[in-house]
Amino acid sequence: MATLNITYDGMSADVPVALERPVTDDDVRRIATELVRSGGVPGMHLSGLSHETFRYFVVDRFRGPRGEERIYLRPKVPFGAR
Amino acid sequence: MRIVFCGVGAIGSQAAVLCRNLAASLVFIDFDRVESKNLLAQAYVKPSVGKNKAEALKLQFLNLHGVKTESFGVRVTRDNVEALCGSADLLVDCFDNQDSRVLLSEFARRAGKPLLHGAVSADGTFGLVRWDERFTPDAEETVGQATCEGGAHLPLLGLLAATLARSVQDFARHGNRRDALVNLSSVMPTSGV
Repeated sequence: MATLNITYDGMSADVPVALERPVTDDDVRRIATELVRSGGVPGMHLSGLSHETFRYFVVDRFRGPRGEERIYLRPKVPFGAR
Repeated sequence: MRIVFCGVGAIGSQAAVLCRNLAASLVFIDFDRVESKNLLAQAYVKPSVGKNKAEALKLQFLNLHGVKTESFGVRVTRDNVEALCGSADLLVDCFDNQDSRVLLSEFARRAGKPLLHGAVSADGTFGLVRWDERFTPDAEETVGQATCEGGAHLPLLGLLAATLARSVQDFARHGNRRDALVNLSSVMPTSGV
């Protein structure tokens, strides 16, 4: 069981996802879109979310402190803030 | 230890304030001036409006905290990066554009200087703290993409600045190099734990 974290539109939430095989970044974006559209992400139910929404988002993958798989779907970080 | 903050806007100014108790010489570099709109998301106060940011932060450190620092009110370029950053024991990248980040990264790698990057997404909802050996700036979707304006998510900027300052402190005191992801719900260590 992996944890997928999605940060979008001023919201951020963790959701557990069962992945039976290695998934590509595009798979992660597609899974996240379906989860958000279906209300599967706590506090982030957007049924009208476009399939293009996460097109430019970055997928980061890490192991947590106890070895658990964590996947982050996040906006790009090209700049600092002014 | 000489710690050089490259860029003292929203992230750099707030992170620097949280480093004021370190046994280190703090140096600020920024060519920009404090504008009224900066007061809501950056560590500047009203009397600093119109002043160079690096100079203003130096004065605020002295007048508000009694801490002496150094300032250079210039833009970092290929011609002056050695003069500005050559004596640093730690470089902290808080720039607001990719070109300056890349320039600093190239210098740090060439000179063997430790370099820590702090960055926030354009929509202000996600931040990164990464040491240079693991840092690759995300590609811009469009050239000259707008930066995050106005600090709409000020608590996240504060959390990011604190996380950055914590990594600076860990390096200064113990030599550790911690990376982290910062989002609206958590700070996630990703390396160097």
